[in-house]
Amino acid sequence: HPWETVTTAAMQKYPNPMNPSVVGVDVLDRHVDRSGKLHSHRLLSTEWGIPSIVKSLIGTCRTKTYVQEHSVVDPVEKTMELKSSNISFTNLVSVDERLVYKPHPHEPDKTILTQEAIITVKGVSLSSYLEGLMANTISSNANKGREALEWVINRLNAEIEEFTASARGTMRNSMAAAAFVEK
Amino acid sequence: MNSVGEACTELKREYDQCFNRWFAEKFLKGESAGDPCGQLFKRYQLCVQKAIKEKDIPIEGLEFMGPSKGKGENSS
Repeated sequence: HPWETVTTAAMQKYPNPMNPSVVGVDVLDRHVDRSGKLHSHRLLSTEWGIPSIVKSLIGTCRTKTYVQEHSVVDPVEKTMELKSSNISFTNLVSVDERLVYKPHPHEPDKTILTQEAIITVKGVSLSSYLEGLMANTISSNANKGREALEWVINRLNAEIEEFTASARGTMRNSMAAAAFVEK
Repeated sequence: MNSVGEACTELKREYDQCFNRWFAEKFLKGESAGDPCGQLFKRYQLCVQKAIKEKDIPIEGLEFMGPSKGKGENSS
């Protein structure tokens, strides 16, 4: 999909069926900087399906994990960069992720995603064996991320088609002559 | 999608609708001047900040944390 489509979908990524644990998204700050780039700071709340007996012991506030995300969209250079890091009450594991979306250099209807993640357990970076384990999870999550955006893009397209169909219906009914562009 | 503060969800939805439209129709096409969503954002923000304080959510510094490593490229 072209970069504009992917970027628009990424801004509306949640909710989607591939990330059912994301239960809340909020924008903490958003502004366009002097060079025309859009900065957004967002807070994501995730709920991991902890059994209710555990919830009743530790209280519902502590069952949510929060992720803070900083994204920068440059509409001139056509890049979107996302940095996210999880915040939780236990701080045992932290996951820092960085994603960059850019148009494909040779195929303008495609977008390239570069993704990296750093996992830290209790202040020590994971290495060797554990890295291998996490790498599988990360790459399957990366695929999930792509599927999630694909789902959002399809949903947005369906909304546009629905809107176009009802607009057509209205025009026909009112017998107005108008020109519109077919996709 | 809900807000972290249950009371803020409606304000959030109104702001999101405004923002998504502006983003796709103006910002990505190079017309970033003007902010039609400013008022909606302010109202929504006040609500969210109150909810974050009430829930004691520890928002730390917003810089990228962790040691920097070389990155791997995957094309998709």
